Amino acid sequence: MEPKKRVRTSNRVRLLAVVVASSSIVLAACGSSSTAKSSSTSPSGSATSGTITWWASPIAQVGIRQTLINAFEKAYPKIHVNLVSAPTNTGTNRSQVVAQISGGSTTPDVFMGDVIWPAQFGAHGLAVPLSNYLPSSYWAKFAPGLVAGAEYKGKVYGSPLFEDQGFLYYRKDLLAKAHLPVPKTWEQLKQESLTLVHDHLVKYGFVWQGNSYEGLTCDFMEYLTSAGGKVTNAAYTKAYLDSPQAIQAVSFMRSLITSGASPAAVTTMEEPQAMATFDAGDAAFLRNWDYAWANSQTPSDSKVVGKVGVAPLPTFSGHSYPGYSTIGGWNLYINPHSKHIATDLTFIKWMSSVQAQTILGKKYSEIPTVESVRKAIAAQASAPPPEKVAAVTRLIARPAGTPNYPALSTAIYTNINAALNGSTSVKSALASAESQANTALSGGL
Amino acid sequence: MTRSMLENATANETPPPTPDQQVTGHRRRTTRIGWVFSSPALVIVALVTIFPIAFSVVLSLANVTVTGNGFQLAGFTFSNYSEIFHASVWRYALVFTVFYTVVTVAVEVILGTLIGLVLERLTKGRGLMMALLLVPWSMITVISAELWQYIFDGTYGVMQAIFSAIGLGQPQFLGTPTSAIISMMVADIWKTTPFVAIIVVAGLVMLPQEVFEAAAVDGAGSWTTFWRVTLPLLRPTIALAILFRILQAFGIFDLPFVLTGGGPGTATTSLAVLSYRTMFQNLNYGAGNAIAVSASVLVLIGCLLFLKVFRAQVSDA
Repeated sequence: MEPKKRVRTSNRVRLLAVVVASSSIVLAACGSSSTAKSSSTSPSGSATSGTITWWASPIAQVGIRQTLINAFEKAYPKIHVNLVSAPTNTGTNRSQVVAQISGGSTTPDVFMGDVIWPAQFGAHGLAVPLSNYLPSSYWAKFAPGLVAGAEYKGKVYGSPLFEDQGFLYYRKDLLAKAHLPVPKTWEQLKQESLTLVHDHLVKYGFVWQGNSYEGLTCDFMEYLTSAGGKVTNAAYTKAYLDSPQAIQAVSFMRSLITSGASPAAVTTMEEPQAMATFDAGDAAFLRNWDYAWANSQTPSDSKVVGKVGVAPLPTFSGHSYPGYSTIGGWNLYINPHSKHIATDLTFIKWMSSVQAQTILGKKYSEIPTVESVRKAIAAQASAPPPEKVAAVTRLIARPAGTPNYPALSTAIYTNINAALNGSTSVKSALASAESQANTALSGGL
Repeated sequence: MTRSMLENATANETPPPTPDQQVTGHRRRTTRIGWVFSSPALVIVALVTIFPIAFSVVLSLANVTVTGNGFQLAGFTFSNYSEIFHASVWRYALVFTVFYTVVTVAVEVILGTLIGLVLERLTKGRGLMMALLLVPWSMITVISAELWQYIFDGTYGVMQAIFSAIGLGQPQFLGTPTSAIISMMVADIWKTTPFVAIIVVAGLVMLPQEVFEAAAVDGAGSWTTFWRVTLPLLRPTIALAILFRILQAFGIFDLPFVLTGGGPGTATTSLAVLSYRTMFQNLNYGAGNAIAVSASVLVLIGCLLFLKVFRAQVSDA
């Protein structure tokens, strides 16, 4: 009896010892994380040495970021840039950046963030007001509207890196076969889609982004603006989503589906699904961003190489052409805890230089944010079609001047998606969108 | 500490203890050593579980703003809770989460039990079948959700092709609220039924064989044996499986986040998805934590009620 018990006890003690040992290892690991204080440097913006971390999601093609870094490091051999690859989903990206910065992390030093972030990041002190460091002459070189979009309460938080906007992609071969012109009104686009589908020239007419997510807010803005509507007042205190213009916009979007001009699946499509359908040769028209061009012309991804045309988005009949394209794209921001703000500024300034913007625009067919580079590239005969079209389109920014934009956008896309899939009427969807948007604007749920 | 020293002192003074006393003293000492040695581990457990929970409760009861320097708490308030209780999105998410939990757990338990019974009877290839069953369960939900997204795709999805081939039209599985909820439940049931089945098999293997022999001697048929002997004996096991499943299903996040994004509209927005959206998209940490705490409290109450009803069975297991 006795020896047995002792054995059991010593086993237990041994087990405890193991637990203690392993837990102290964990403790030691936890304790080793350093707590760095944020620096209080007064940067001149002309630092030429140091190491900084750049947080950026893949820009259309994975190699772009490294190409830019290599060119930058060639210009500033004593500065080293560590690239941290960020999630491509803008929401996931934001939550990770916010977690790092609000936790006091000194890295990343510079982060590439969505154009819809400035108000939220500015209001919460999650980004450095760049206009405190960079003079107005710096901001004057960007294309109109971009700097205003990066402002919150009179300060600029993001330096525009590359721009994006909605385009209408169409099948040149199909339109020629059916003797149809490139549509200039939404109604014409719908009619031509129906004709092409009924004539069995193509499986689907018009594909776009109708899923319940941020992309639907972008698409909706284009219809709403060409119908003459607005989402909120200038002070962001009142939403106008239950307006006749919004009803016209959403009723038309719904009619695209009910008439058969767009497939029912469009209410679950995001950019990749819509683009894949178009590139498979199954759709006559596509609303997408700049990068859809390069994809449609890549033989391994696309069956429609050489058959695609690009045009500005249509408008509603009775309104002037072209319609409006929602502004997308990405800015560069600085982490308020960065210890290398002077070096960060050198990097940001270089990224808006002619050299960097030309790499983005010419080599990778992104739309440059610097006006002179944009014009120079668009003027060349060899310029990618979207960049030529971008020179003549009209732009509309999402109502992102409020820190409550994410909740506002959620109120828009969840309700409009419900109207598009027919689970609620357009009128009641917009009524609930308006009431939720008003709650969102006041900071509520 | 003083008390334990006193106890030690008295233990030393007393004449040779009886074997009985010796055992108790020994046990007490072991318990003390146990506490001493496990306290570092317990501190870590407290740090990684109790602290975040407590912090979440604190945030839900404060006027909180997230800033570049962390959270700023300004005063105690119930406003976060009153805000969520008045929000139709929270009420919908609650109803959806409860409905989703009840349906998926019920189906999984029934299916899982049936599969478990079959598996236990298998004389050949039981190991192989168990291994196959574990495949869905062992798959990371994010990956299985991506797979189901391909299956349910509204343009090129294989499920649509099957429906279309047998003349059922071209349904948009993820496009309308009802079908999206059903699709999500199917994906969940596919993944977690094996978990229930394996727990049931484990329970069946442990059952005393004599009872079944006695039932056979008494002339009970297989149907009677199942209802009168197997199922009552299996109840503690099933109760345990239900408990695990309720806890998991009520906190469902990854499946709707990947498969539907909470849509169409807000049809598949569970409390966890809503909490994520409120906290990490809207940076409204007060309300977001209030949603998280409300969900925890509700599932706790649900589990306590369940335990009250099934207490005997669970403790038997």
